[in-house]
Amino acid sequence: MTTLFLYHGEPTGPSLTVLAALFESGLAADLLHIDLAMAQRHAGEVPLGFEANYSVEGEGPVLVVDGEPTVDSVFIGCLLDDLAPQSGLRPTDPYLRWEMMAWCRWMIERLAPGAAALANIAWTTPRLAALDDAEFEGLVAPIEADDLRDRWRQTRAGLLSDDHRKASEARVHEATKKIDDRLADRDWIMGDFSLADLESYAWVAPMRDLIPAAFEGKPRLAAWLERVKTRPSVARALAQAQKPEPAHGFAPGPEINRWG
Amino acid sequence: MSSDLTLYHWEPNANSGKPMLTLVEKGVSFNSHYIDLLAFDQHKPDYLAINPMGTIPAMTHGSRLLNESTAMMEYVEEAFPGPAMMPDDPVDRWRVRWWMKFLDQWLCPSFSMIGWSIFIGPQVRARDPRELEAAIERIPLPERRIAWRKAIYGLFSAEELAESRRRVDLGIGMLEDALAKREYLGSNQYSLADINLFNSAYGLPSQQPDDVNDEKTPNIMRWLRSVARRPAVKQTWTYSRVPRFAERILPLIEEATA
Ligand SMILES: N[C@@H](CCC(=O)N[C@@H](CS)C(=O)NCC(=O)O)C(=O)O
Repeated sequence: MTTLFLYHGEPTGPSLTVLAALFESGLAADLLHIDLAMAQRHAGEVPLGFEANYSVEGEGPVLVVDGEPTVDSVFIGCLLDDLAPQSGLRPTDPYLRWEMMAWCRWMIERLAPGAAALANIAWTTPRLAALDDAEFEGLVAPIEADDLRDRWRQTRAGLLSDDHRKASEARVHEATKKIDDRLADRDWIMGDFSLADLESYAWVAPMRDLIPAAFEGKPRLAAWLERVKTRPSVARALAQAQKPEPAHGFAPGPEINRWG
Repeated sequence: MSSDLTLYHWEPNANSGKPMLTLVEKGVSFNSHYIDLLAFDQHKPDYLAINPMGTIPAMTHGSRLLNESTAMMEYVEEAFPGPAMMPDDPVDRWRVRWWMKFLDQWLCPSFSMIGWSIFIGPQVRARDPRELEAAIERIPLPERRIAWRKAIYGLFSAEELAESRRRVDLGIGMLEDALAKREYLGSNQYSLADINLFNSAYGLPSQQPDDVNDEKTPNIMRWLRSVARRPAVKQTWTYSRVPRFAERILPLIEEATA
């Protein structure tokens, strides 16, 4: 019997994906809520191995599987699907699987860095800026990866260049169009429901509050957002919220691509 | 050339080498279509009609297109018979995928930035400036356009190059630790993660002999030799056309197989 402990933040971004994927899988896990935006992941109680410390996703949930901490929402989704192959999280046909992974890669590599930057500046910066210097440095001191700690400092300082802001906003527009176009002949991204719906929803839905223009005139997107939100696994994930605006519960995420 | 599978690739290393080595390891026959990155073949209309992203590699299987080299490797693994390139255990599989993402997004971009600033940029810089500008304008992905511009005009900043060097140095230590813990990168069995890494790391001992050698990084050296010894690796290098790349790897293959 596999034992699972899931340390997760508010149901938004990677934490939302992983909570909902866990519920889709039907596997039993102990849920432990942590405040990712206060760097609670690094405060000592969450087991972090090398991979968790250097997760490309930044501050996301940690699923501990038989003692081993696993990270990065899409790959945790694949892991849950490997543990519960009937979950339907991934299509079974190899080409559809490729398509789903390529789609998810677009979301995590092209959209997520920008969406995380915009979300953090809007919602995390004020929380971090309210801390005094010593308190903040105390929170980030245990962070092992220097580049992640730098992203925390930049988030606290509210730093985002105009170029990065523009590129990030353009990505959100591109993502909403990509989803709306994709839904022309289907209800879910891959035809049947899959991890791709969760990963896309988790990054796109919070952007409604920040870039409403990207959502205008896209009825298929609007219907899909509602469909995902009311799916039982997602509704149950959203019910794990501890704050009034769970969608805003971000923490420094993936870095903006330094390469291509 | 009877296969319904065609791989569009550049040199058998980095991203192109990933699906290619996977295909050869599994014994899958394919048509090879060389795309010359230094001639900007990847942004020409013929190729964009196949892969609109304008990145190399791409693969067609029947009428279906595949791009994104790591996702392509998983496709090859699942769609064809042959020796398994993924472990069975779910957590091992997760670790293999984790490493591939870490390589694709954290470590290898740093190798690339250094390589492009030293080699790719200078290779094409001397060409007609108007031709180069036009070539840059044809690049579909904005991030790739920025990377090419920086490489061609030598615009990588001192800070970003220093950060890439920091990541390479740190990465060497991480790889040594990981390979001390397990025989291969993500698990105790040769897998897609090893294919992914080998294609970017085979040049380390010759490029950074002070950092990667038998004394300092015995596990990286052991691992490099055990991958270099695989017949499939040698076979992929028959597709190489740029001597500078082959010269880096052939001595390692020879030494490992001696
Ligand atoms: N994420 C893509 C990246 C592909 C990529 O960027 N390939 C490089 C060559 S290794 C390329 O196409 N460079 C040429 C260009 O950007 O024009 C993959 O893994 O396939």
